[in-house]
Amino acid sequence: VDLLSASVTLVESASDPYTLVELAGEADVTNSDALREVLDAEVAKQPRTLVIDLGELRFMDSSALHVILRANRTMDRHGGVLALARPGETVARMLRLTAADQLIPVYPSVAEATAG
Amino acid sequence: VSGRQVPGHAATRLTSPAEAMPFTYTSNLSEVRARVRRYAMLAGLTNARADDLVIAVSEVAANTVRHARSPGTLDMWHYENEIVCEIRDLGVITDSLAGQRRPTADALAGHGLWLVYQLCDLVELLSGQEGTTVRIHMSIRVTETGG
Repeated sequence: VDLLSASVTLVESASDPYTLVELAGEADVTNSDALREVLDAEVAKQPRTLVIDLGELRFMDSSALHVILRANRTMDRHGGVLALARPGETVARMLRLTAADQLIPVYPSVAEATAG
Repeated sequence: VSGRQVPGHAATRLTSPAEAMPFTYTSNLSEVRARVRRYAMLAGLTNARADDLVIAVSEVAANTVRHARSPGTLDMWHYENEIVCEIRDLGVITDSLAGQRRPTADALAGHGLWLVYQLCDLVELLSGQEGTTVRIHMSIRVTETGG
């Protein structure tokens, strides 16, 4: 059983389609390469909006955080927006301590993340 | 790292045969986190402080995976008012100020040890040619144990 799973959906909406990456499990140094591959592949398609749903992510270490910060930087360069949704308590604490939540918008739900 | 004695309080290990310590880890950091959480709760830390300890130990153990090229070991014990997690590996940390500078928010490395210093009450770090020992201390506050 993989510690981390990621599923990618292209959400078609008339007004503003977006890419949704749902993470589940635990993201740490042992699977950050896999996470990087998933995010790099989606970021390379240059979507306008990429939402990472953290709702089922029980744990995130600094390696995983760095992968997300790197994706955010690339999205920025392409004029797109990366948003984070539904972080649990531990993950939210990580985002707050590192001030990553000041670089990347964090929303309580995917719907709010896509409402801009 | 020399032993830190708390006068009047003997160190206690809460162990079951299934969780003998020290625990050796390679890439099984999920198990490291689960063990720290269980121990922290048994020793009387609140959920939030147990969370912090789990994050801190996981970051130190992640450094083993990144740099040490050897397994690491985790040992835990506690006193009446303090829990101690000791992580050892054969890696060498040459920067004596490692983790003591705040990385910029958009830095793509260097948050790990810095987080450990932020989250815990005391961090002892000893590194030399024979390897690295990190001892993380977390106080068990009186208000947490209800006494």
